[in-house]
Amino acid sequence: MKGMLNDQSLIYQQIAQLLEDGILRGEYPPETPVPSTNELARAFNINPATAAKGVNRLVEEGLLYKRRGIGMFVAPGALEALRQKRREAFAGTQIQALVREAKRLGMNRQELLDLVERQAEEEQLP
Amino acid sequence: MKIEAMTNAARTLEARGLCKQYGKQTVLDHVDLAVEPGCIYGLIGRNGAGKTTLLSILTGQNTKNSGEVTYGGEPVWENPRALSDLCFARELNPGSEVAALQVEEYLLAARLFCPRWDEEYARTLIKKFGLDTKKRINKLSKGQMSMVTITAALASRAPVTILDEPAAGLDVVMRECFYRLLLDDYAETNRTFVISTHIIEEAAGVFERVIVLDEGRVIANSQTDDLVDQFRYVSGSAQAVDRALAACGLQPLQQQGMGPHKTAAVRGTPEQFARLAAEPDLELSGLNLQNVFVALCGHGDEEG
Repeated sequence: MKGMLNDQSLIYQQIAQLLEDGILRGEYPPETPVPSTNELARAFNINPATAAKGVNRLVEEGLLYKRRGIGMFVAPGALEALRQKRREAFAGTQIQALVREAKRLGMNRQELLDLVERQAEEEQLP
Repeated sequence: MKIEAMTNAARTLEARGLCKQYGKQTVLDHVDLAVEPGCIYGLIGRNGAGKTTLLSILTGQNTKNSGEVTYGGEPVWENPRALSDLCFARELNPGSEVAALQVEEYLLAARLFCPRWDEEYARTLIKKFGLDTKKRINKLSKGQMSMVTITAALASRAPVTILDEPAAGLDVVMRECFYRLLLDDYAETNRTFVISTHIIEEAAGVFERVIVLDEGRVIANSQTDDLVDQFRYVSGSAQAVDRALAACGLQPLQQQGMGPHKTAAVRGTPEQFARLAAEPDLELSGLNLQNVFVALCGHGDEEG
Protein backbone atom coordinates (compact mmCIF):
# COMPACT_ATOMS: atom_id res chain seq x y z
CA MET A 1 0.00 0.00 0.00
CA LYS A 2 2.46 2.57 1.16
CA GLY A 3 5.23 1.38 -1.11
CA MET A 4 8.58 1.84 0.53
CA LEU A 5 7.17 3.36 3.68
CA ASN A 6 7.08 1.33 6.88
CA ASP A 7 4.33 1.31 9.47
CA GLN A 8 6.56 1.84 12.46
CA SER A 9 6.67 5.61 12.41
CA LEU A 10 4.31 8.38 11.40
CA ILE A 11 3.85 8.66 7.68
CA TYR A 12 4.38 12.41 7.47
CA GLN A 13 7.62 12.02 9.39
CA GLN A 14 8.77 9.35 6.94
CA ILE A 15 8.03 11.72 4.06
CA ALA A 16 10.03 14.47 5.78
CA GLN A 17 12.86 12.03 6.48
CA LEU A 18 12.85 10.83 2.87
CA LEU A 19 13.26 14.38 1.57
CA GLU A 20 15.95 15.08 4.16
CA ASP A 21 17.86 11.95 3.07
CA GLY A 22 17.57 13.12 -0.55
CA ILE A 23 19.04 16.50 0.36
CA LEU A 24 21.87 14.88 2.40
CA ARG A 25 22.73 12.55 -0.48
CA GLY A 26 22.85 15.49 -2.86
CA GLU A 27 19.88 14.33 -4.95
CA TYR A 28 18.19 17.67 -4.34
CA PRO A 29 20.92 20.33 -4.46
CA PRO A 30 20.20 23.84 -3.18
CA GLU A 31 17.86 25.92 -5.35
CA THR A 32 16.41 22.87 -7.09
CA PRO A 33 12.81 21.65 -6.73
CA VAL A 34 11.72 18.69 -4.60
CA PRO A 35 8.78 16.49 -5.69
CA SER A 36 5.38 18.13 -5.28
CA THR A 37 2.84 17.06 -2.69
CA ASN A 38 0.79 15.37 -5.40
CA GLU A 39 3.81 13.52 -6.78
CA LEU A 40 4.66 12.27 -3.30
CA ALA A 41 1.05 11.28 -2.64
CA ARG A 42 0.94 9.34 -5.88
CA ALA A 43 4.33 7.71 -5.46
CA PHE A 44 3.47 6.35 -2.00
CA ASN A 45 -0.31 6.01 -2.38
CA ILE A 46 -0.95 8.27 0.57
CA ASN A 47 -3.29 11.15 1.31
CA PRO A 48 -1.96 14.42 -0.19
CA ALA A 49 -2.65 16.17 3.12
CA THR A 50 -0.26 13.76 4.85
CA ALA A 51 2.41 14.33 2.17
CA ALA A 52 1.91 18.09 2.58
CA LYS A 53 2.40 17.79 6.33
CA GLY A 54 5.78 16.17 5.74
CA VAL A 55 6.84 18.81 3.21
CA ASN A 56 5.65 21.59 5.52
CA ARG A 57 7.79 20.33 8.36
CA LEU A 58 10.84 21.00 6.19
CA VAL A 59 9.47 24.41 5.24
CA GLU A 60 9.03 25.27 8.93
CA GLU A 61 12.63 24.26 9.56
CA GLY A 62 13.79 26.52 6.73
CA LEU A 63 15.14 23.61 4.66
CA LEU A 64 12.65 24.18 1.84
CA TYR A 65 11.01 27.34 0.61
CA LYS A 66 8.05 27.97 -1.61
CA ARG A 67 8.31 29.62 -5.01
CA ARG A 68 4.85 30.87 -5.72
CA GLY A 69 3.15 29.02 -8.52
CA ILE A 70 6.16 26.76 -9.15
CA GLY A 71 6.67 24.60 -6.11
CA MET A 72 8.98 23.81 -3.21
CA PHE A 73 12.71 24.41 -3.55
CA VAL A 74 15.72 23.46 -1.44
CA ALA A 75 16.93 26.45 0.58
CA PRO A 76 20.51 27.66 -0.01
CA GLY A 77 21.90 26.63 3.39
CA ALA A 78 19.77 23.46 3.69
CA LEU A 79 22.59 20.92 3.47
CA GLU A 80 24.63 22.52 6.27
CA ALA A 81 21.57 23.12 8.47
CA LEU A 82 20.47 19.53 7.97
CA ARG A 83 23.89 18.12 8.84
CA GLN A 84 23.92 20.18 12.02
CA LYS A 85 20.45 19.01 12.97
CA ARG A 86 21.19 15.35 12.25
CA ARG A 87 24.43 15.55 14.25
CA GLU A 88 22.52 16.69 17.30
CA ALA A 89 19.98 13.92 16.85
CA PHE A 90 22.81 11.43 16.23
CA ALA A 91 24.18 11.96 19.73
CA GLY A 92 20.74 11.64 21.27
CA THR A 93 19.59 8.51 19.46
CA GLN A 94 22.17 6.36 17.67
CA ILE A 95 25.02 6.97 20.12
CA GLN A 96 22.73 6.41 23.07
CA ALA A 97 21.47 3.13 21.58
CA LEU A 98 25.07 2.08 20.87
CA VAL A 99 26.23 2.69 24.42
CA ARG A 100 23.17 1.02 25.94
CA GLU A 101 23.63 -2.07 23.79
CA ALA A 102 27.32 -2.23 24.75
CA LYS A 103 26.29 -2.05 28.39
CA ARG A 104 23.80 -4.90 27.96
CA LEU A 105 26.54 -6.97 26.33
CA GLY A 106 28.81 -6.38 29.31
CA MET A 107 31.40 -4.43 27.34
CA ASN A 108 33.56 -1.79 28.96
CA ARG A 109 34.31 1.67 27.65
CA GLN A 110 37.59 0.78 26.00
CA GLU A 111 36.12 -2.24 24.18
CA LEU A 112 33.36 -0.05 22.74
CA LEU A 113 35.82 2.65 21.67
CA ASP A 114 38.05 0.01 20.04
CA LEU A 115 35.10 -1.26 18.00
CA VAL A 116 34.22 2.25 16.88
CA GLU A 117 37.86 2.87 15.99
CA ARG A 118 38.05 -0.33 13.94
CA GLN A 119 34.87 0.48 12.01
CA ALA A 120 36.06 4.04 11.38
CA GLU A 121 39.30 2.59 9.98
CA GLU A 122 37.38 0.26 7.65
CA GLU A 123 35.15 3.07 6.36
CA GLN A 124 38.21 5.33 6.02
CA LEU A 125 36.68 8.08 8.13
CA PRO A 126 39.28 10.87 8.10
CA MET B 1 -17.57 24.27 -9.88
CA LYS B 2 -20.80 24.47 -7.99
CA ILE B 3 -19.27 22.51 -5.14
CA GLU B 4 -16.38 24.92 -4.68
CA ALA B 5 -18.69 27.91 -4.57
CA MET B 6 -20.36 26.57 -1.45
CA THR B 7 -18.94 27.22 2.00
CA ASN B 8 -17.65 24.49 4.28
CA ALA B 9 -20.60 24.73 6.63
CA ALA B 10 -22.96 24.09 3.73
CA ARG B 11 -21.30 20.73 3.08
CA THR B 12 -20.72 19.50 6.62
CA LEU B 13 -22.52 16.30 7.53
CA GLU B 14 -23.23 16.29 11.21
CA ALA B 15 -24.69 13.99 13.83
CA ARG B 16 -25.61 15.26 17.29
CA GLY B 17 -26.65 13.07 20.19
CA LEU B 18 -27.49 10.26 17.80
CA CYS B 19 -28.98 7.18 19.46
CA LYS B 20 -30.20 3.97 17.90
CA GLN B 21 -31.64 0.87 19.50
CA TYR B 22 -32.60 -2.41 17.93
CA GLY B 23 -35.07 -3.74 20.48
CA LYS B 24 -33.30 -3.57 23.82
CA GLN B 25 -29.86 -3.41 22.27
CA THR B 26 -28.21 0.00 22.05
CA VAL B 27 -26.28 0.22 18.78
CA LEU B 28 -25.43 3.92 18.78
CA ASP B 29 -25.04 5.75 22.05
CA HIS B 30 -25.11 9.56 21.81
CA VAL B 31 -22.89 9.89 18.77
CA ASP B 32 -21.59 13.38 18.01
CA LEU B 33 -19.73 13.61 14.75
CA ALA B 34 -18.94 16.25 12.12
CA VAL B 35 -17.79 15.10 8.69
CA GLU B 36 -16.05 18.14 7.23
CA PRO B 37 -15.80 18.62 3.47
CA GLY B 38 -12.71 17.85 1.41
CA CYS B 39 -11.29 15.14 3.62
CA ILE B 40 -10.91 11.35 3.46
CA TYR B 41 -12.15 9.79 6.69
CA GLY B 42 -11.55 6.25 7.81
CA LEU B 43 -14.19 4.71 10.04
CA ILE B 44 -12.85 1.83 12.09
CA GLY B 45 -14.53 -0.31 14.71
CA ARG B 46 -14.93 -3.94 15.64
CA ASN B 47 -17.69 -6.15 14.30
CA GLY B 48 -20.95 -4.97 15.80
CA ALA B 49 -19.53 -1.58 16.84
CA GLY B 50 -22.32 0.13 14.87
CA LYS B 51 -20.44 1.25 11.75
CA THR B 52 -23.02 0.28 9.14
CA THR B 53 -25.89 1.55 11.29
CA LEU B 54 -24.12 4.90 11.73
CA LEU B 55 -23.40 5.26 8.01
CA SER B 56 -26.94 4.33 7.00
CA ILE B 57 -28.46 6.86 9.43
CA LEU B 58 -26.03 9.57 8.33
CA THR B 59 -27.30 9.13 4.78
CA GLY B 60 -30.98 9.05 5.68
CA GLN B 61 -31.40 5.37 4.86
CA ASN B 62 -32.22 4.22 8.37
CA THR B 63 -34.25 5.68 11.22
CA LYS B 64 -32.84 6.93 14.50
CA ASN B 65 -34.36 6.88 17.99
CA SER B 66 -33.12 10.30 19.03
CA GLY B 67 -30.64 13.01 18.14
CA GLU B 68 -30.26 14.70 14.80
CA VAL B 69 -28.43 14.35 11.51
CA THR B 70 -27.93 17.45 9.39
CA TYR B 71 -26.20 18.34 6.14
CA GLY B 72 -25.38 22.01 5.75
CA GLY B 73 -27.55 22.62 8.81
CA GLU B 74 -30.66 20.99 7.31
CA PRO B 75 -32.08 17.66 8.48
CA VAL B 76 -31.08 14.85 6.15
CA TRP B 77 -34.17 12.66 6.60
CA GLU B 78 -36.40 12.81 3.50
CA ASN B 79 -34.63 15.96 2.37
CA PRO B 80 -33.98 15.61 -1.38
CA ARG B 81 -31.56 18.52 -1.45
CA ALA B 82 -29.33 16.96 1.19
CA LEU B 83 -29.75 13.41 -0.10
CA SER B 84 -28.71 14.35 -3.63
CA ASP B 85 -25.29 15.30 -2.24
CA LEU B 86 -24.85 12.04 -0.32
CA CYS B 87 -23.97 8.64 -1.69
CA PHE B 88 -23.90 5.55 0.52
CA ALA B 89 -22.40 2.50 -1.18
CA ARG B 90 -23.36 -0.51 0.91
CA GLU B 91 -21.62 -3.83 0.88
CA LEU B 92 -23.56 -6.08 -1.52
CA ASN B 93 -24.46 -9.53 -0.36
CA PRO B 94 -25.70 -12.34 -2.59
CA GLY B 95 -28.84 -12.98 -0.53
CA SER B 96 -30.32 -9.49 -0.85
CA GLU B 97 -33.09 -8.59 -3.30
CA VAL B 98 -30.89 -6.16 -5.18
CA ALA B 99 -28.45 -9.00 -5.88
CA ALA B 100 -30.87 -10.49 -8.38
CA LEU B 101 -30.19 -7.52 -10.67
CA GLN B 102 -27.66 -7.53 -13.45
CA VAL B 103 -24.63 -5.30 -12.85
CA GLU B 104 -25.93 -3.05 -15.62
CA GLU B 105 -29.36 -2.72 -14.01
CA TYR B 106 -27.84 -2.03 -10.61
CA LEU B 107 -25.65 0.75 -12.00
CA LEU B 108 -28.62 2.19 -13.89
CA ALA B 109 -30.52 2.38 -10.60
CA ALA B 110 -27.53 4.03 -8.92
CA ARG B 111 -27.47 6.54 -11.74
CA LEU B 112 -31.11 7.50 -11.08
CA PHE B 113 -30.31 8.29 -7.45
CA CYS B 114 -27.16 10.27 -8.18
CA PRO B 115 -27.72 13.59 -9.97
CA ARG B 116 -23.98 14.02 -10.57
CA TRP B 117 -23.49 10.52 -12.01
CA ASP B 118 -20.50 10.32 -14.37
CA GLU B 119 -21.31 7.63 -16.94
CA GLU B 120 -17.96 7.88 -18.70
CA TYR B 121 -16.11 7.37 -15.43
CA ALA B 122 -18.38 4.41 -14.61
CA ARG B 123 -17.53 2.81 -17.99
CA THR B 124 -13.80 3.37 -17.40
CA LEU B 125 -14.02 1.69 -14.00
CA ILE B 126 -16.04 -1.27 -15.31
CA LYS B 127 -13.40 -1.81 -17.96
CA LYS B 128 -10.58 -1.47 -15.46
CA PHE B 129 -12.21 -4.05 -13.17
CA GLY B 130 -13.09 -6.31 -16.09
CA LEU B 131 -16.72 -6.57 -14.92
CA ASP B 132 -19.28 -8.38 -17.06
CA THR B 133 -22.26 -6.03 -16.83
CA LYS B 134 -24.72 -8.68 -18.06
CA LYS B 135 -24.00 -10.91 -15.07
CA ARG B 136 -26.34 -10.97 -12.09
CA ILE B 137 -24.83 -9.63 -8.88
CA ASN B 138 -25.48 -12.87 -6.98
CA LYS B 139 -23.38 -14.70 -9.58
CA LEU B 140 -20.34 -12.50 -8.93
CA SER B 141 -17.41 -13.30 -6.67
CA LYS B 142 -17.07 -11.33 -3.44
CA GLY B 143 -14.28 -9.27 -4.99
CA GLN B 144 -16.36 -8.45 -8.06
CA MET B 145 -19.24 -7.36 -5.80
CA SER B 146 -16.86 -4.96 -4.07
CA MET B 147 -15.86 -3.64 -7.50
CA VAL B 148 -19.52 -2.94 -8.37
CA THR B 149 -19.94 -1.04 -5.09
CA ILE B 150 -16.76 0.92 -5.72
CA THR B 151 -17.83 1.74 -9.28
CA ALA B 152 -21.20 3.04 -8.06
CA ALA B 153 -19.58 5.11 -5.31
CA LEU B 154 -16.85 6.70 -7.39
CA ALA B 155 -19.06 7.37 -10.45
CA SER B 156 -21.71 8.97 -8.22
CA ARG B 157 -19.43 12.01 -7.94
CA ALA B 158 -21.43 12.82 -4.81
CA PRO B 159 -19.83 15.57 -2.69
CA VAL B 160 -20.03 13.21 0.29
CA THR B 161 -19.35 9.62 -0.74
CA ILE B 162 -19.56 6.90 1.88
CA LEU B 163 -18.27 3.37 1.32
CA ASP B 164 -19.01 0.54 3.71
CA GLU B 165 -16.21 -2.05 3.71
CA PRO B 166 -15.26 -1.50 0.06
CA ALA B 167 -12.02 -3.43 0.48
CA ALA B 168 -13.53 -6.48 2.18
CA GLY B 169 -13.74 -8.78 -0.83
CA LEU B 170 -10.66 -7.52 -2.66
CA ASP B 171 -7.27 -9.18 -2.79
CA VAL B 172 -4.24 -7.11 -1.86
CA VAL B 173 -3.47 -6.08 -5.46
CA MET B 174 -7.04 -4.88 -6.02
CA ARG B 175 -7.05 -3.07 -2.69
CA GLU B 176 -3.98 -1.11 -3.75
CA CYS B 177 -5.70 -0.40 -7.04
CA PHE B 178 -8.82 0.79 -5.23
CA TYR B 179 -6.91 3.18 -2.95
CA ARG B 180 -5.01 4.53 -5.94
CA LEU B 181 -8.28 5.18 -7.81
CA LEU B 182 -9.69 6.79 -4.71
CA LEU B 183 -6.69 9.08 -4.23
CA ASP B 184 -6.65 10.01 -7.93
CA ASP B 185 -10.33 10.93 -7.80
CA TYR B 186 -9.82 12.80 -4.54
CA ALA B 187 -6.89 14.77 -6.01
CA GLU B 188 -9.15 15.76 -8.89
CA THR B 189 -12.42 16.52 -7.07
CA ASN B 190 -11.45 17.09 -3.42
CA ARG B 191 -14.77 15.59 -2.39
CA THR B 192 -15.40 14.01 0.99
CA PHE B 193 -15.05 10.28 1.51
CA VAL B 194 -15.94 8.18 4.53
CA ILE B 195 -14.61 4.64 4.28
CA SER B 196 -15.19 1.90 6.79
CA THR B 197 -12.69 -0.93 6.84
CA HIS B 198 -11.37 -3.83 8.83
CA ILE B 199 -8.10 -3.90 6.97
CA ILE B 200 -6.61 -1.01 8.82
CA GLU B 201 -2.90 -0.71 8.41
CA GLU B 202 -2.65 -0.49 4.64
CA ALA B 203 -5.35 2.20 4.60
CA ALA B 204 -3.74 4.31 7.31
CA GLY B 205 -1.86 6.48 4.82
CA VAL B 206 -5.00 7.15 2.82
CA PHE B 207 -7.05 8.46 5.73
CA GLU B 208 -6.43 12.07 6.64
CA ARG B 209 -8.68 11.61 9.63
CA VAL B 210 -9.82 8.54 11.46
CA ILE B 211 -13.02 7.96 13.41
CA VAL B 212 -12.96 5.12 15.94
CA LEU B 213 -16.34 3.67 16.87
CA ASP B 214 -16.45 1.38 19.88
CA GLU B 215 -19.62 -0.15 21.29
CA GLY B 216 -21.77 2.52 19.69
CA ARG B 217 -19.68 5.48 20.81
CA VAL B 218 -17.18 7.63 18.90
CA ILE B 219 -14.05 7.32 21.01
CA ALA B 220 -11.69 9.12 18.63
CA ASN B 221 -12.04 11.50 15.71
CA SER B 222 -8.78 13.17 14.80
CA GLN B 223 -6.01 13.44 12.25
CA THR B 224 -4.59 9.97 11.77
CA ASP B 225 -0.99 10.98 12.57
CA ASP B 226 -2.06 12.97 15.63
CA LEU B 227 -3.99 10.02 17.03
CA VAL B 228 -1.19 7.52 16.41
CA ASP B 229 1.36 9.85 18.00
CA GLN B 230 -0.55 9.84 21.29
CA PHE B 231 0.48 6.22 21.91
CA ARG B 232 3.70 4.40 22.83
CA TYR B 233 4.78 0.95 23.83
CA VAL B 234 6.91 1.05 26.95
CA SER B 235 8.97 -2.01 27.71
CA GLY B 236 11.48 -3.08 30.29
CA SER B 237 11.43 -5.02 33.53
CA ALA B 238 7.88 -5.19 34.92
CA GLN B 239 9.03 -3.34 38.00
CA ALA B 240 10.68 -0.51 36.06
CA VAL B 241 7.68 -0.15 33.70
CA ASP B 242 5.14 -0.08 36.55
CA ARG B 243 7.18 2.39 38.57
CA ALA B 244 7.76 4.77 35.63
CA LEU B 245 4.12 4.67 34.48
CA ALA B 246 2.88 5.38 38.00
CA ALA B 247 5.35 8.28 38.33
CA CYS B 248 4.03 9.79 35.09
CA GLY B 249 0.41 9.16 36.01
CA LEU B 250 -0.13 6.82 33.05
CA GLN B 251 -2.49 3.84 32.94
CA PRO B 252 -1.56 0.94 30.66
CA LEU B 253 -4.26 0.31 28.04
CA GLN B 254 -2.92 -3.08 27.25
CA GLN B 255 0.00 -5.02 28.62
CA GLN B 256 1.86 -8.16 27.97
CA GLY B 257 4.21 -9.81 30.38
CA MET B 258 6.87 -12.33 29.58
CA GLY B 259 8.63 -13.49 32.71
CA PRO B 260 10.05 -10.44 34.45
CA HIS B 261 9.79 -8.40 31.21
CA LYS B 262 6.78 -6.36 30.30
CA THR B 263 5.43 -4.22 27.47
CA ALA B 264 2.60 -1.78 28.08
CA ALA B 265 0.70 0.37 25.58
CA VAL B 266 -0.03 3.84 26.93
CA ARG B 267 -1.74 6.99 25.71
CA GLY B 268 -0.01 10.16 26.84
CA THR B 269 1.42 13.58 26.10
CA PRO B 270 4.80 14.45 24.55
CA GLU B 271 5.96 15.58 28.01
CA GLN B 272 5.08 12.23 29.56
CA PHE B 273 6.83 10.37 26.72
CA ALA B 274 9.94 12.53 27.10
CA ARG B 275 10.02 11.64 30.78
CA LEU B 276 9.74 7.93 30.00
CA ALA B 277 12.39 8.16 27.28
CA ALA B 278 14.83 9.60 29.80
CA GLU B 279 14.61 6.39 31.88
CA PRO B 280 17.70 4.35 30.93
CA ASP B 281 16.04 0.98 31.66
CA LEU B 282 13.02 1.51 29.42
CA GLU B 283 12.53 1.20 25.68
CA LEU B 284 9.91 3.33 23.96
CA SER B 285 8.50 2.56 20.55
CA GLY B 286 5.66 3.85 18.42
CA LEU B 287 2.43 2.11 17.50
CA ASN B 288 0.85 1.89 14.06
CA LEU B 289 -2.83 2.60 13.50
CA GLN B 290 -3.75 -1.05 13.85
CA ASN B 291 -1.90 -1.31 17.18
CA VAL B 292 -3.68 1.85 18.35
CA PHE B 293 -7.01 0.36 17.36
CA VAL B 294 -6.35 -2.83 19.34
CA ALA B 295 -5.17 -0.81 22.36
CA LEU B 296 -8.32 1.32 22.25
CA CYS B 297 -10.94 -1.29 21.36
CA GLY B 298 -9.39 -4.60 22.41
CA HIS B 299 -10.80 -4.48 25.98
CA GLY B 300 -8.37 -7.27 26.81
CA ASP B 301 -10.07 -9.66 24.35
CA GLU B 302 -6.87 -10.15 22.38
CA GLU B 303 -5.39 -12.09 25.28
CA GLY B 304 -8.10 -14.70 24.86
